[in-house]
Amino acid sequence: MNGWTAAGTALLLCGFAPAACGVATGRASRRVPAQNVATTLLSLVFLLLAQGFARPAYVDTALVLSVLGPAGTLLFVRLLADQLADHPPGERRLRALTVGNYVAVAAVVLPLSAAAGPGRAMVKLLIIGVLLALGSWVATRAVHAAAAMGHGRGAPAEGMSGDR
Amino acid sequence: MTGELPVLLGLLLVAAAGTGAVLVRDPVRQSFVLSLLGLSLAALFLLLQAPDVALSQLAVGSALTPLMVLLSVRKVRRKARSERREERE
Repeated sequence: MNGWTAAGTALLLCGFAPAACGVATGRASRRVPAQNVATTLLSLVFLLLAQGFARPAYVDTALVLSVLGPAGTLLFVRLLADQLADHPPGERRLRALTVGNYVAVAAVVLPLSAAAGPGRAMVKLLIIGVLLALGSWVATRAVHAAAAMGHGRGAPAEGMSGDR
Repeated sequence: MTGELPVLLGLLLVAAAGTGAVLVRDPVRQSFVLSLLGLSLAALFLLLQAPDVALSQLAVGSALTPLMVLLSVRKVRRKARSERREERE
């Protein structure tokens, strides 16, 4: 087991596992942001493991997860909009989670791209990093929008009415 | 032994997520735990050096399963609500 694999395992244990606990417990306002954090951290774990196993092909799983993770979060936000509007998540905590995501992405992707050296692999890693940061930003915006809909109540969440 | 630590951790995660998915009774909450189970399974597959299986598991587990569950819940609830309204009328 080399340093990269050890780092990946540590991130799985100290990052993904607590986020998973957040996903499994509490209200939707806690679960949805935690789900976003969990996918971001798992993607970073995949990147570290790919480097640790010296298999550049494993980076593809992280790339797929960096696209599908935010998609899953948006799906939860869309389908649980009324629950999020009833109990909106704390503004400050949401911002702290997003900043934490950015810091984690930078802390993992930058050393990895330094280790990869200039070339195609480095560009791919940087693209994955940007996708992860963008996904985190988009998911936070979506949660904000769903929560804001609850503040200006009146009409129920869109899609929940109108066709009957 | 230290070489097997990541695989052991992946197995533990899958066991915990699987048990959680069985124990949670509310379908909406279950959809979260199911997506978690998908993610843990993908991590385990990657640790066992099967990235192609991990890819398909990611596609199914992280987005498709929760979508199916949540859509069915919404459909059932809407139907129940409209039936209740019809009874009242």
